[in-house]
Amino acid sequence: MANDVKLRTTPSEITNIEDVWVLHFPRFGKEGTHYHTYGMLTPYFKGLTEGRLMATRCVNEACPISNGHGEKWLPPRSDCPDCHQPMQWAQITDPHGYIYSYTFVERGGTGLEVECPYYQIDVKIEGVCTILKGYLLDRKPIKIGDKVKAVFRTESPTNTCLDIAWQLL
Amino acid sequence: MIEFKTGNLRVPKWTRPVYMVAAGTTDYRKRYPAKKLEELCMMAFRMLLEENDLKMDPLEVKGLINFACYGEFADHFQDQLLCEAKVHDYLGLDLLPNVGIKTGGATGGSAMLMGATTVASGMADCALVLGWERMDEVKTWTGNYYISTAACKDFETRLARNYASYYAPMARRFQEMYNVDERVRAEIAVKNRGYACFSPFSQQPGVHTIDEVLEGEIVSDPLRFLECCAMSVGSAAALLCTEELAHQLTDQPARLYVAGGSHTLRTGDRRPMRIPLLPNESEEDYRELYQEMEKTDGRWPGFESFGATRFAAYMAYRMAGIKDPLEDLDLVETHDAFTISDLQTYGDVGLTLYGREQDYVTSGECYHENPHTGQPGKCPSNLSGGLLGTTHAVGATGIFQAGEVLWQLQNNYDKFHGDPRIWERYGKKKPPDWKSLQVKDPRRGLAISHAGVGSHVVCTILEKAF
Repeated sequence: MANDVKLRTTPSEITNIEDVWVLHFPRFGKEGTHYHTYGMLTPYFKGLTEGRLMATRCVNEACPISNGHGEKWLPPRSDCPDCHQPMQWAQITDPHGYIYSYTFVERGGTGLEVECPYYQIDVKIEGVCTILKGYLLDRKPIKIGDKVKAVFRTESPTNTCLDIAWQLL
Repeated sequence: MIEFKTGNLRVPKWTRPVYMVAAGTTDYRKRYPAKKLEELCMMAFRMLLEENDLKMDPLEVKGLINFACYGEFADHFQDQLLCEAKVHDYLGLDLLPNVGIKTGGATGGSAMLMGATTVASGMADCALVLGWERMDEVKTWTGNYYISTAACKDFETRLARNYASYYAPMARRFQEMYNVDERVRAEIAVKNRGYACFSPFSQQPGVHTIDEVLEGEIVSDPLRFLECCAMSVGSAAALLCTEELAHQLTDQPARLYVAGGSHTLRTGDRRPMRIPLLPNESEEDYRELYQEMEKTDGRWPGFESFGATRFAAYMAYRMAGIKDPLEDLDLVETHDAFTISDLQTYGDVGLTLYGREQDYVTSGECYHENPHTGQPGKCPSNLSGGLLGTTHAVGATGIFQAGEVLWQLQNNYDKFHGDPRIWERYGKKKPPDWKSLQVKDPRRGLAISHAGVGSHVVCTILEKAF
């Protein structure tokens, strides 16, 4: 769709160190680059560039909250905050959800890569205990409860959270 | 954490009582090229020592100080690490120990909390708490980017780079879940900016109308420009001490209680939990709210409320013996960085039940003079002008709020706001229609200092001790 929200960005450079993605964030040119690791969350960011939404869940039977069958977390986290044991990756197939809340961003701060105006939306996904913030490709009026599906930026990905967007169903 | 164990809910028990005896502040401006940062801090320090009717010579008072807690929100703005050392030296406090405190928008409140604990523990008999922010070295939209780094770098910052856009979804959800009329939010902007007209310290005083707020430019839907605080420059200070020193220093000391709470950096990560009840609430009060939440896939605190504020109030009320906030508190300062955060806070601190925040504002009890009855409001809020009208020079804000509460308890509103010489000090003229916002014989006041989308919150309670 010609009217879809576009990104004004160039793909961020990535260094792969032992399967961990380190994102280059050039704040003051090449010499002033920050090297920001995705650490154990690399499968999430890598997954987006390959069209997969990866969450984590606690499978520790001794966990007082999950009892071994926890809900999924998005954003994912490697370790469970309730029992401190490593969580397990789980793909969300055919990811869709509904708009839990939203705002129409008319203007962003310096360096914003998303073309204004656009909807920033909070998406509630079935089986996920948290609510994921993202952006909507559509610009037509929306309301809380509207259903959305995930779209992945697999071609020239940014290697950031901007590689997942949402589209009205 | 969604289930507490006994230890988690231990009410803070200080080893000895803590008092606040003096406050100081600068005026606040969007840009303040006339003064360097440390010069502004000196202005606040001087006012604290010289203008609070302390019963000792200012330099003798200074001679009592044995610890300093400094609040600064962001190093980015000034590109200066260890600014604390510059300020401490400039105030002539070397070689005394100092610590820098950083908890986002709650930095000022956290500095009060840490300063209080130095006195409560015996580490200090007299502690200086001083905070500042200088946000005018960069353009506003670059400042907005810096502030948005207080959202999650990996999952949120790139989605707006403007902090209003992280509050706006809370405003949207709150509005739709509780059927809130936008005019109520606008009313808060009108009230607080209006109160700022009577303060010589204020940055954004203004007589506005509800329609004007709503017709204003949108920052991030549904929040309009007049609903958001601005970049600010300035400094504020507080002097805390033991009971013994308090009575030596002043005839008007205030007893201080401070507690904090914290919650996720990302709003969406707040998992559902039961509401920790304040002394005036029961499970029955929230039976219907829980039922409503089931219908709307709602959760507490969700996007509608601040768990950290509730936790801080839960603790502070128990420390201060507050049973019914609306009856026991005579004024409050909320963290109205946005109109929505002011509105949400009334439920969190129990001035009304969750879900009824809108009714509390329209009841008029949050006004100095209730517009419906013409009588004094039961618990006026943000008589200082708040963050919307007076300042959010972030590291100073929570300290400034405590100062305003102290001066109210001392019956000193007029002394600090009505003296034409103070207006002239800042190059202003006292307005001819100036009126006093002194609350009649207040006994207790509260200030909420608040960070992020509710990541850190400090609840400061001051109680008249004379």
